[in-house]
Amino acid sequence: MSAEILRTVDLTKRFGSFVAVDHVNFSLREGEVAGIVGPNGAGKTTFFNLVTGYHPPDEGRVVYLGQDVTHAPPQHRVGLGLVRTFQLASTFDALSVLDNLVLARFSRLHSGANVRVLLTAPRRRYYDDPRVQEVLERFQLVSQRDRLVRHLSLGEKRRLEIAMAILSEPRVLMLDEPLAGLSEAEIHQVMDVLRSQVGQRSMVVVEHKVSHLLGFVERLVVLHEGRVIAEGRPEECLQDPEVRRSYWRVGAESA
Amino acid sequence: MSRRLRWWAGILIPFGVLAVARWVLPLPFLVEVLIFSVYTMACNFLLGRVGFISFGQPAYLAAGAYGTAFYLYYFGRDPLLGILAGLASGLLFSAVVGLVFVRLRSDYFALVNLALAVIVYHLMQKVLAPITKGDNGLWFLDRMTSTPVLDLTRPDGFVWFAWLVAVAVWALYKALDDTVFGACCLATKTNEDKVKFLGYHDFKIRWTAFVLANTTAALAGSLYGVYFGFVSPEMASAARAADPVVVTILGGTGTLYGPLVGALAYVGMKDLVSGVVGNWEFFVGLLLVVIMLAGERGIWGTLEPWLRRRWAWRRPAPALQE
Ligand SMILES: Nc1ncnc2c1ncn2[C@@H]1O[C@H](COP(=O)(O)OP(=O)(O)OP(=O)(O)O)[C@@H](O)[C@H]1O
Ligand SMILES: [Mg+2]
Repeated sequence: MSAEILRTVDLTKRFGSFVAVDHVNFSLREGEVAGIVGPNGAGKTTFFNLVTGYHPPDEGRVVYLGQDVTHAPPQHRVGLGLVRTFQLASTFDALSVLDNLVLARFSRLHSGANVRVLLTAPRRRYYDDPRVQEVLERFQLVSQRDRLVRHLSLGEKRRLEIAMAILSEPRVLMLDEPLAGLSEAEIHQVMDVLRSQVGQRSMVVVEHKVSHLLGFVERLVVLHEGRVIAEGRPEECLQDPEVRRSYWRVGAESA
Repeated sequence: MSRRLRWWAGILIPFGVLAVARWVLPLPFLVEVLIFSVYTMACNFLLGRVGFISFGQPAYLAAGAYGTAFYLYYFGRDPLLGILAGLASGLLFSAVVGLVFVRLRSDYFALVNLALAVIVYHLMQKVLAPITKGDNGLWFLDRMTSTPVLDLTRPDGFVWFAWLVAVAVWALYKALDDTVFGACCLATKTNEDKVKFLGYHDFKIRWTAFVLANTTAALAGSLYGVYFGFVSPEMASAARAADPVVVTILGGTGTLYGPLVGALAYVGMKDLVSGVVGNWEFFVGLLLVVIMLAGERGIWGTLEPWLRRRWAWRRPAPALQE
């Protein structure tokens, strides 16, 4: 069994008196692909936010690569290869598709780049970068490469964001509903790319439609009201009575 | 090679036209347009590239002007060194102020800058009156020595110097657009979180952009100082705080030539309209309203696509678009 790469210990987040994430203990092994499911408001995104440094937790710890990164700024975690995408596709509207990709690629090549490096590097130097070309093709964004992202469809933006995440070549890739808003064809395309990443990095995928995760993730974590209510092999998880009770959509869709 | 040539042509053609206009237009008008366009360029960068709207630009203008004035009034006589002193004081001032200000976003940023302009005005008028001579200002026109090649103490020398400075500023900001830093600035403008989550230090990026822009504003202040041979607290007056923002929008926010076109329109209206009817600011306001209603693209933002179609201009590089 490979080594553990990420672990959370009693991770907890409250918004006022509301507990969004409640003592979550989660662990991920090197190269493992895990899925997180749960109904709306279960705390999946908040959990991502805690792990990646968007919010500080109220309790608990995040241990990544053996380091306690609970209070490390997001950039530090990214520099260590912990990369995420956002539920609402998060890209740079005022830049072209190509420039978005260049920013992702550049950050990987010059991790934590200081401003002097940024100021002296011409953008166009990275336009022909083989990695950038490769993701453009794999995500079928070649014809869009010079368009401003603000003119892209939601599906294209989401593909772009995942492409950027992959250009970051993370050790742990955390995807928050990567398939939401995509057409069937796009879902196939994205899933193909994600499958090709297996073995190169660990992944954590939040997804509403559990059917998309079956056959992809090795392990499923079911969140409900901020707590982990089931965890294990996907098929077993979905048979769990508590899961069926509290998350009827999981039961319905897996049937 | 040809790409580099085209790159420079993009700057030298408009400024070349302006240079030729030297023999047609009144000298003071041209000087004012040049200096004001540099002043506006700073604001255009902040607003169009980084998403900072500042109603306190006179504070930075004054930081440069007083740096120059102190040097030329108390220490030296060389106007070139005076301008260097203004640049240095603008750099220092914005570097310190920026540490606090760039943590603020949009509306607060605008207001805090306005407050800063008020404070600087008060400092120069009252608190530091023993050295600034208060409202009387510092006069150093007679103290400045002639400079070789271009004599900055004479308007017909100064205008070329201002022209060179403007060309250099344009080249700087155009080159900046072509760097990864330029892309980072536009990225922070629309999505700061994502900048962080790509691993960039968003604070350093914003701070650098802020210091760069406001040092440019200070440079404009220094140029004013040397040109008039006089600096007074009026420079920091909050009454003129919205000017660079207005001119930025007039020209076309985030476009390369917007600040130049805007400055031409603004100074032109000031000089022309005020000769005919008293209240030229009314017409600037009117024009501003029309521009906002017409889609906020500004004069250049509207003209550019039209010119491009006319002459089938080709862009030297896929420039960052606003
Ligand atoms: N910044 C915040 N302030 C206050 N409440 C918040 C905040 N972020 C999330 N919440 C609340 O925490 C709960 C969990 O939200 P979260 O976004 O983590 O759920 P989720 O599992 O991702 O749901 P979805 O499937 O809808 O994306 C929700 O009830 C939400 O309203
Ligand atoms: Mg969510």
